[in-house]
Amino acid sequence: MIRNYFIIAFRNIRRNMSYAFLNVFGLTLGIASCLVIFLIVRNELSYDAFNHKADRTYRVTLHALDFNSNISVAIVPAMRLDFPELEQVTQVFFQTDGLIKVGNNRYDEKNFAFADEHFPAVFDYQWIAGNPKTALAEPNTVVLTESVAKKYFGQKDAMGQVINVDKQFPLKVTGIIKDVPGNTSLPFTFLISFITIQKDFNHNFWNIPGGSYVYIVLPKNQSIKNIQAKIPAFIKKHWGDDIAKQATLPLQPLKDVHFDQRYINNVVTPTSRETYYVLGGVALLIIITACINFINLATAQAIRRAREVGVRKVLGAGKGQLIAQFLGETTVLVLLALFMGIAIASIFLTRANNILGININASQLGEPVVMECIAGLTVLVILLSGLYPAFIQSAFQPVDSLKNKVGISTGGLTLRKGLVIAQFAISQILIVGTIVVARQMDFFENQNLGFNKDAIVTVDIPDVAKGEALKQQLLAEPGIKDISFSSAAPAYSSNFCPFSAKQLGYPKDNVTELKNIDERYIDMFGLTMLAGNKVAKDDTLHHVVVNETLIHDIGIQDPQKAIGQQIEVNGNKVAITGVVKDFQSESKHKKIRACVLMYDHSNFYSVSMLVQPAAMRQTIDHVGKKWSAIFPDDLFSYQFMDDRIAGFYRQEQKVYTAFRLFSSIAILIGCLGLYGLISFAASQRTKEVGIRKVLGASLTSIVALFSKEFIVLIGIAFFIAAPLGYYMMNNWLQNFAYHINIGAETFVVAISASFIIASVTILYQVTKAALANPVKSLRSE
Amino acid sequence: MIKITDLEKFYRTEEVETIALNKLSMEVGTGEFVAIMGPSGCGKSTLLNILGMLDDPDEGSYMFNSIEVAHFNERKRADLRKHNIGFVFQSFNLIDELTVFENVELPLIYTGVPSAERVKRVEEVLDKMQIMHRRNHYPQQLSGGQQQRVAIARAVVNKPKLILADEPTGNLDSSNGNDVMELLTDLNEQGTTIIMVTHSEHDARYSHRIIRLLDGQTVMENIMI
Repeated sequence: MIRNYFIIAFRNIRRNMSYAFLNVFGLTLGIASCLVIFLIVRNELSYDAFNHKADRTYRVTLHALDFNSNISVAIVPAMRLDFPELEQVTQVFFQTDGLIKVGNNRYDEKNFAFADEHFPAVFDYQWIAGNPKTALAEPNTVVLTESVAKKYFGQKDAMGQVINVDKQFPLKVTGIIKDVPGNTSLPFTFLISFITIQKDFNHNFWNIPGGSYVYIVLPKNQSIKNIQAKIPAFIKKHWGDDIAKQATLPLQPLKDVHFDQRYINNVVTPTSRETYYVLGGVALLIIITACINFINLATAQAIRRAREVGVRKVLGAGKGQLIAQFLGETTVLVLLALFMGIAIASIFLTRANNILGININASQLGEPVVMECIAGLTVLVILLSGLYPAFIQSAFQPVDSLKNKVGISTGGLTLRKGLVIAQFAISQILIVGTIVVARQMDFFENQNLGFNKDAIVTVDIPDVAKGEALKQQLLAEPGIKDISFSSAAPAYSSNFCPFSAKQLGYPKDNVTELKNIDERYIDMFGLTMLAGNKVAKDDTLHHVVVNETLIHDIGIQDPQKAIGQQIEVNGNKVAITGVVKDFQSESKHKKIRACVLMYDHSNFYSVSMLVQPAAMRQTIDHVGKKWSAIFPDDLFSYQFMDDRIAGFYRQEQKVYTAFRLFSSIAILIGCLGLYGLISFAASQRTKEVGIRKVLGASLTSIVALFSKEFIVLIGIAFFIAAPLGYYMMNNWLQNFAYHINIGAETFVVAISASFIIASVTILYQVTKAALANPVKSLRSE
Repeated sequence: MIKITDLEKFYRTEEVETIALNKLSMEVGTGEFVAIMGPSGCGKSTLLNILGMLDDPDEGSYMFNSIEVAHFNERKRADLRKHNIGFVFQSFNLIDELTVFENVELPLIYTGVPSAERVKRVEEVLDKMQIMHRRNHYPQQLSGGQQQRVAIARAVVNKPKLILADEPTGNLDSSNGNDVMELLTDLNEQGTTIIMVTHSEHDARYSHRIIRLLDGQTVMENIMI
């Protein structure tokens, strides 16, 4: 019996190749997309979960003026002493860039973690060589990741070899580990013993080095509340009463690190869980669309196969046997789609790093939990798409089906129409989503920045003393239109300090960003002056230009009235000499903060150049040569301002790319189904078209006859999709401090796109039907 | 074998009610070959569908082998049908996706006959119908006459007590039509009861008795000598 079902299934596929193709191809794309999205979402939502103590591990952070993930290195020995119940306390200092020398070769490398000897007991890595307990115990030791060890030493044993970091210290390789997983909040490639650099830190509680992180591990069955309860006393003891009143040390669960967007100074920019829930929702919509196709095409085919059902019933087939037969056929198609879907997903995953910026190994598709999900997905798809058509077909009355008198309807509005409405609604929601994400991305990177970012290149200055020499060289470069030296260009923020305005009645410290800039900065970056004067070369350290947010913070609304006011910045009294319009120095996830601009050439660690776009490549080459001549021991690197800003939104960019890709797939799958349905409808109505043509109907009127129905369906779908799409995307936008408003034009585009897509899909088939010779179509009946 | 009494069947639309069978009564004994004739719309096919338990009557009694089946549910009807009745249609109604062998095998699958037994019985019947050489062909590769032989093979493979034939020669030329009628006559001579709906006086002459219907009622019975 089973054999018979499969024989029938295969022969049916062969006989109805175009139908099977539409079905299987749609489902294949759907399954492949679902698998890829599943792995992406799983990868993102399981950040740091690979550590077996992840549920008991917390990051000790600081909340004084703002949430800060960095903390004093002095806290580590103090915590070990004051919290003896903790299983582990470990220190890690993260440094993004570094120069490595191996023999005579130099490498510009990224992601250095300086960790103490307790670190391997907290975080799980796969050790290929070396002893995790001792590898980081001595100064000047390093644990390399496998790919780095191979890069430097090839097939040679890397253990015991020596490399040099930052022209400063030699490091002996004491361990090799497998490359750390892509979904870690500490994505290091070098693990260096913390004791190597310990002496360089100022070990007091007030000093908070950028990049210093502390983790604790709670003993099993111990509540974090017990530790939290002791924190205020701990702060009081080490920082004093005043600080204890306004600061806390939030203990952040390790698994939340990747998702807590209050902390911006993480190694990996945090993202929102909602974003991945939305992506998961897209996967669901895709598979629903694919199943709807299946149901629509199968029920359409069912009418064609009614006679077969009649014959089988006459020959003694029971309803159960027929349901089993049709489910069997669905199973064959779904399995076919499944195998192709898995193949496409694995091919895609090998390229996903380039396309989506994710690093997921295709071998994950073979993991037991993924296999279980695939099995679950298969059963779900078989039941979703097979059960209804199977019931419909098995319920045909033999007498009717032998006479081809069957029809499928549920209470006037056919189910198929309902499903088509659902499909249109899904594609419209996805179109709305894609437009909103695209507009928000454009808003992020190009709108309301408050400064000019085009054709600006920024280069670091390793030695401030040689800044003037570099300036003279750069001024002679014809491709450079303008130059500005500063501690940080507008989109770079690193230096924060307290400010207050006691005279104006604001004695409480607030936080401000402090940028040291030269006299060209405001003009070159196109910052807008609202009052007073720009920063000048002869300004003293007591003259500052501030932004709008700062004056609002101290209760001044009119920029003119701020000029001449005294404020305290970092404990120094300064006078406001100018007010500049707010500009975006951090990502738009955060509200703009107060900013103080002042002239101080001793902090000019960065030079920004406005380059003539036509001579970009050549100019950067020249700058590189001149720069290297002045700083021969360092490696030249540069960054475009555009890239820097785009970097703030890398997570969103990833999601946007994924959203665009998968929305297109969902829409394509919907089109396949629509194409199948309309070709079926056209073939069903051949006789009607023939009669209408004999009676004088024009091509246009016949096309209109078919299109009318779909226009109504698109309209109904729109009334479902518009509020849903608005609700979903408006919720997503709430993740950002600055965001676009979803306007009516978004919905106009969505419904228009729906019409265009449907028209293109159906026009060919309908025109073909309308142009057919009526004599032939009447004879065929 | 069959006794129907005051059988009624109506077809209703929103506005019109059409009487297909109007208090029809008749009997068919075991081993008989009966032809049912009448103009289009007289109720022949409706009667055949009810006799074949593909449809149920609105009123009246239908005794099949002394069992009242008029109001059996679909499952019971299907069960009784598959063990007792074989069907031959005008348009053959073979399944295009199955080979000759698989088409004939189908009723045996539905009655749960084991695989080895199925092969034996299908080969036997194909041999008898002289269509064995076409066993691996698909219906569309056969002539009309050959297709109807396959359909008859399929109808008899389960050794039914009754064969219902709905214009079995309607789609065939006279030579193939005669062959089919000879086959049915042979089956009848071997003990199978046959009820055949036909428009053809020529075919009706193969039967023992002709029942003529008009407007859902019996108007005449001819005994063939």
